Amino acid sequence: MATRDSLIQVKDLKKHYKGGTIRALDGVTVDIFKGDVMAVIGPSGSGKSTFLRSLNLLEEPTGGAIFFNGVDITKRKYKDASGKTVKLNIDELRQKMGMVFQHFNLFPHMTILDNMTLAPIKVKGMTKEAAEKKALELLDRVGLKDRADAYPIQLSGGQKQRVAIVRALAMEPEVMLFDEPTSALDPEMVGEVLDVMKELAHEGMTMVVVTHEMGFAREVGNRVLFMADGKLLEQGAPEEIFGNPKNPRLQDFLAKVL
Amino acid sequence: MFIKLENFSTIASYMDLFVEGTIVTILLAIFTVILGFCIALVLALMRLSNIRPFRGLGLDENGHLREEGFLALVSRFNPLSFLATAYVEILRSTPVIVQLFIIYYGIFSIIDLPSFRIFGFIRFDRFFPGVVAMGMNSGAYLCEIIRSGIQSIDSGQTEAARSLGMSQGQNLRYIILPQAIKNILPAIANEFVVIIKESAITYTVGVQDIMSAVNAVKGSAFIIVEPLLVATAIYFCLCFPTSKVIAYFERRMSRGDKR
Repeated sequence: MATRDSLIQVKDLKKHYKGGTIRALDGVTVDIFKGDVMAVIGPSGSGKSTFLRSLNLLEEPTGGAIFFNGVDITKRKYKDASGKTVKLNIDELRQKMGMVFQHFNLFPHMTILDNMTLAPIKVKGMTKEAAEKKALELLDRVGLKDRADAYPIQLSGGQKQRVAIVRALAMEPEVMLFDEPTSALDPEMVGEVLDVMKELAHEGMTMVVVTHEMGFAREVGNRVLFMADGKLLEQGAPEEIFGNPKNPRLQDFLAKVL
Repeated sequence: MFIKLENFSTIASYMDLFVEGTIVTILLAIFTVILGFCIALVLALMRLSNIRPFRGLGLDENGHLREEGFLALVSRFNPLSFLATAYVEILRSTPVIVQLFIIYYGIFSIIDLPSFRIFGFIRFDRFFPGVVAMGMNSGAYLCEIIRSGIQSIDSGQTEAARSLGMSQGQNLRYIILPQAIKNILPAIANEFVVIIKESAITYTVGVQDIMSAVNAVKGSAFIIVEPLLVATAIYFCLCFPTSKVIAYFERRMSRGDKR
């Protein structure tokens, strides 16, 4: 099933609690290709967020495998190209996966600029000048260059989320994970954040987006996953999912949200 | 009336004892907080550490995390955290005076301390065991203050830091501690006030603090209520303004949060 530009392969991923009585994820298998903009939809408690957070191991899965660039990241050790067993470096892995959270999670004790340059300087070893130059460029792209010296508390929700997105981009990730990025925003601010995400998608960034914004899923996504009860019930192109849903749970869900 | 004014003029001749006692009390509290903080920091980091020597037992043959069972329990065992928790719970569940006596009559009957005097009136072989006992006790309480200060930081902060590729240590140093210190500092200052009051107990092992001055007056002039009133006034003058100053700074710091 592996193809040349498959970026993340998820195989039979499971997250069970209490001896399997609670199954947040119950056997999810999916391939994420380079350049995919994948929207994950489903009722609350369906395991969408757990699925997303498993991809960069913020949640430790209890079964299955996740291959990222060909390495199973759910195992602590793997064999490298020369056949040597090496320990999985989880910090290195996470640098390649940017994550955007529902509640932004900006660092409140730092300015916007420091928020954006901390990880590039301390983790990637960039110089302060280079990191700041890059951060200002990114801020300029989302129209927030003039707020570089502000603190997160001085920003609106939409501005905070735009900063959170470019903070993740500053690490130059291969894939961006979005965990309900607009759910905590006032309605009038949803648009500005979605616009940034749309632009990112058009530039060819690989994105996995857990969202309740059906418009975004339909318009920007090239693939849509529908999850319920920890299972992947239906997947396909947006036209398929929204135009011709087959699974009764999906039909029921769409009837409620559209 | 049982309080006689002329008795206060009797006390006046013991004024030196009270002045020295006040200095001893303040020094005792300062050294106790310093020692207590050092112990507490180590304990808190031990409790929050994630060192699990049997971690490997928690993985099944496919390398996945076991969900439950005996091996999963063993794999989660953290000996450092266990030791620190045991220390904290024992020290918090026994009276200070018992701990003080064990330190003074137990430990320091084995270890011989040099018997010199600091400033000519602080007996080191009494003062030092007092600091050690109070510091060990206060360390247990301060540990919980530091731990809760660190844990009060939203877990989203750690998730954001880790997802940017920061290690656990970098997360603690750049993200968690700078935010936690705001919650911790006022609590440490309050512990200083608490120790000023609690250190009164060290006169039972011969530390010449304010209470020991009361005792001296009682023994030689046969009056007790008046020197106690003097001690009350001194303790109040030490603690009340200090706690007000702390409260002021606490308010100012929390205003910074709403920036």
